[in-house]
Amino acid sequence: MSRHLSSRQILECLIDADDSDGLQHVHECAPCRAEMESIAGPLTWFRASVHHLGDASQGQHPRLLAPQPVPVWGTWSDMWGGLQGQGRRAGAASVLIHASLIALLLLIGTNRTVQQIVRDQVQLIAPDIAPYRPTVKKDAMHGGGGGGDRSPTPVSKGKLPKLANKQFVPPMISHVENPKLVMDPTLIIQPDANIPKVDTPNLGDPLAKSGLASNGFGSGGGMGSGRGGGIGPGSGPGFGPGSGGGIGGGVYKIGGGVSAPSILYKVEPEYSEEARKAKFQGTVLLYVEVDEKGNPRNIRVIRPLGLGLDQKAIEAVEKWKFSPGKKDGKPVPVQAQIEVNFRLL
Amino acid sequence: MERAVSSDAVPATVGSGGPLDDFEGLFEQYRPRIYRFILASLRNNESAENLTQDCFVRAYLARDQLRSASSAGTWLMQIAANLVRSHETSGRLKFWRRTLRADIDLSDAGDWIPDRQMSPEQVAVAKQQVEKIWKVAARLSGKQRTVFLLRYAEDMDLLEIATITGMKEGTVKTHLFRALKSVRAALEDQRK
Repeated sequence: MSRHLSSRQILECLIDADDSDGLQHVHECAPCRAEMESIAGPLTWFRASVHHLGDASQGQHPRLLAPQPVPVWGTWSDMWGGLQGQGRRAGAASVLIHASLIALLLLIGTNRTVQQIVRDQVQLIAPDIAPYRPTVKKDAMHGGGGGGDRSPTPVSKGKLPKLANKQFVPPMISHVENPKLVMDPTLIIQPDANIPKVDTPNLGDPLAKSGLASNGFGSGGGMGSGRGGGIGPGSGPGFGPGSGGGIGGGVYKIGGGVSAPSILYKVEPEYSEEARKAKFQGTVLLYVEVDEKGNPRNIRVIRPLGLGLDQKAIEAVEKWKFSPGKKDGKPVPVQAQIEVNFRLL
Repeated sequence: MERAVSSDAVPATVGSGGPLDDFEGLFEQYRPRIYRFILASLRNNESAENLTQDCFVRAYLARDQLRSASSAGTWLMQIAANLVRSHETSGRLKFWRRTLRADIDLSDAGDWIPDRQMSPEQVAVAKQQVEKIWKVAARLSGKQRTVFLLRYAEDMDLLEIATITGMKEGTVKTHLFRALKSVRAALEDQRK
């Protein structure tokens, strides 16, 4: 036989030892023999391992013992007969209890829901999510607040109230006698903010001059010359210049937990006459603050283009309407930059 | 009130004249083989012990059906194979058996030394291959595993296997071929 056996034929030789033609070839042909032995060898070892395993546990097994006479209860009536009075009741109770326990266990064990619960059990691990936690940079904090009750005298020096996420009562030098519900005044400022510390018993603006106790000329509650329940010259429930809560002046920047505002309504800018004549093209970069209501404020030109196009760009953007930027799900004033393109078709 | 079972109710030897006069002898002779086959099929010591006992109890109860002592091995193996099959397919408690059972450790199965003249590397390779075959055998379907174990662990010929499993010889060959193909694929996988 000159041709080699196919792998199928080799397996058939292994299965059927009576296949004399195939076995003859395997004897004569070295490659075929090697291929057959690559399976036959491990199979031989497998047999040895099965026998080894069987023999290993053989020693532990009891031999068949010659039967010994064993006392048994023959029938149920014999069993009941053996128990009298109290014993009989106790026996019945015992049988009942055992039977019901076994039935209960079987019922629970074969219940699909229980089996599903056991199957679904997973070991929980507490993953370390520190690397994924958003971090707020110190310099990302912006905003401020201010207030007052239109007092004739400027705000007096004092300490800041507690910092919190919510404001129920603005900080003020109280005029309410015997309030029914006492709430601590708070300012909406991130708890880790750097605030000026003043060691005085009464509330006030830490940066103000000492003087008569006053809430300042501002309006809307709070203390200082601004408006809106905070302390300082800004607006909103924070501290310092700026608006919308927080500290440090200005409005929020995008990033550090503050989402960017998006455009809801847009007006294309008009071309100015000079620019059209000069066939002038380019881009104006504007600075915009988008307030909590989504209106653009404080629009300034960062990169001008000239020929009246800067003014046209500001006019267009003033009519735009935004969906405000958000911090912790609440709309906040956010500063942004807008590129306005002027292209001639 | 107490009654003792008289010795003739459970005799040590079966009634005279039958091929199974010496049931104890038969037990001693075939128990290792039956136990080994069930252990290799189920890979669980406890189940193997139980089923071996069941097997001999059934054989004892049905001892009249056996005509000649020469076929006792095949007959017992037939009972064992049936027991293994019904054990694997029985009911709802299968889930708990699978969840709670303490399977034999495969490293125990490779605990033997195939040949004292082999180098340590060769021994290690052999052990790995044997472990692989155990794993493949565990994955095979019930019929394939039974014929595979009978052929390559118990060295039975195809006719005997056909009698034991109640299949035709051709069917046995087909099952063996598929089992061997899986084994070969696993071994080749390991060599890569």
